[in-house]
Amino acid sequence: MSKLQFLRNLAALVSLTVASCGKKETGAVVVLTGSSTIAPVISDVAKRYEAANPGVRIEVQSGGSSRGIADALSGTADLGMASRALSADEAAKLTAHRIAADGVCVVVHRDNPVSELSREQLISIYTKKATNWKDFGGPDATIVVANKAEGRSTLEVFLHYLGLDNADVKADVVVGENLHVINSVVANPNTIGYVSIGTAASEAKGGTPIKLVSTGGVAATTENVANGTFPITRPLNIVEDALTSPAAKAFLDHLTSPAINDIIQKHFFVPVN
Amino acid sequence: MPSVSKPAARRASFRWLDRSFAVAGGMAALVSFGLFAWLIRDLVRLGMPRISWEFLTAEVADAGRSGGIGPVLVSSVLILVCCLGLAIPLGTGCALWLAEYARRGSVPARLVTGGVDLLASVPSIVFGLFGMVFFGQTLRMGFSILSGGLTLACMILPMLVRTTLSALEALPADLRPAAAGLGMTRSTTIAKVLLPAALPGIVIGVTLGIGRALSETAALIFTSGYSTRWPETLSDSGRALSVHIYDLALNVANGGPMASSSALVLLALILVVNSAAVTLSERWLLKRHQTS
Repeated sequence: MSKLQFLRNLAALVSLTVASCGKKETGAVVVLTGSSTIAPVISDVAKRYEAANPGVRIEVQSGGSSRGIADALSGTADLGMASRALSADEAAKLTAHRIAADGVCVVVHRDNPVSELSREQLISIYTKKATNWKDFGGPDATIVVANKAEGRSTLEVFLHYLGLDNADVKADVVVGENLHVINSVVANPNTIGYVSIGTAASEAKGGTPIKLVSTGGVAATTENVANGTFPITRPLNIVEDALTSPAAKAFLDHLTSPAINDIIQKHFFVPVN
Repeated sequence: MPSVSKPAARRASFRWLDRSFAVAGGMAALVSFGLFAWLIRDLVRLGMPRISWEFLTAEVADAGRSGGIGPVLVSSVLILVCCLGLAIPLGTGCALWLAEYARRGSVPARLVTGGVDLLASVPSIVFGLFGMVFFGQTLRMGFSILSGGLTLACMILPMLVRTTLSALEALPADLRPAAAGLGMTRSTTIAKVLLPAALPGIVIGVTLGIGRALSETAALIFTSGYSTRWPETLSDSGRALSVHIYDLALNVANGGPMASSSALVLLALILVVNSAAVTLSERWLLKRHQTS
């Protein structure tokens, strides 16, 4: 390549780049930022919504619940995603719409006679103050404690309920996926673990030999998560301020309708609308 | 006779020490290689079954649990191009100024090197937040491939400056007076003599920078973003491979298998881009050798 040719190519590349930086002609754009737990669900919903509503573009960005709340307030985003309840301060300025619930339940092997554990009992098991199943009406066997890997949303929900730090937990098995926890319980009947309630319910229904343990006197069912009585849960919220655009409003209506329930279930969350 | 046995014993202990050094070194090498081999084996075992042309080119579906990684791959490459497009000229320029123009030990030179070294110790999440505010909000680039690439450029800049600078400083000191003696101007000396001679060092810097840029997650979540759409322009948001892996591994239930496959692709991509950089520079050097 001669020098002149090279320069000409370079110039073409630069002008192409500059041209492509210009704003395109687009219709309505709805920007959502926030919770990394909710973002994958909304991405899926957005894809289907865009196909059904040509001209509308849904931009989903993650970054954490607090970021979603801050962006909804500052106007950086049209809607914020927050996988926690709003503080009183935030609730004064924003409206939260619950689109789903994230429930976590404790699972043991189907052959384990234990079917209910209180919050205090769970704390003593997960901090290894109690180490034998017979203390809880089970067989004389050492409890194998399965914990989730750092960063998992189920870990956050579970430890928040117990009021523990991850450093307080003394685990025998640390795994990442819900299905790995279930596999551990199936492989060793003395294992205790916790998983997303949607996963546990569908696995148990499918014949996997696991049992969903009641907590705080409430049965671990998706119904009890939806009606808010099950204790180990958190809301998946979309927040908006007073200045929501019509396009964002329409998308919010879609998010709070039952039309997205199949996608919510596919992500092992519990539909509430 | 104690006077004879003493040096003999010392010799024996030296020999023992010698041998244990060799053994310890060999063990360290074995462990290093073993860890690498284990990692590759696991990645291939978990990730290989889903790798196909379809996987590399198809759209992301079902939050990443099915479909492929086509748009993510394209975004990653575009982010890298933006990053290197800014970082290479800026880093080389900065190193040239430090090595050839600035007086060694002068206040401006010390300020620049100090600043660059300080930049090298900044955690990547800080670059991410800086990029979000500076490129995203102040320069109004929003969530875009450009804003992600430029943020990465800031991040790998210190690495490029340092390696280029040490390559320039390691050149034989006679080169400069010799070039001057031939009547070459300073800029010609730099362009025709010093930079080509320092090229291997620069390439090492670029290679390290590519590795770091492609594996970066924290700096990109807030800048190039999360969108898995096919990027049409550089002002579109585009998810990088590392962000995709992170999201699948942590936020998407049962995303683990696809995360492994994507990680395998990322590893292959780094290998391909790095060897391309090395091959290009070697070929270029060879060509210069033959023509001059």
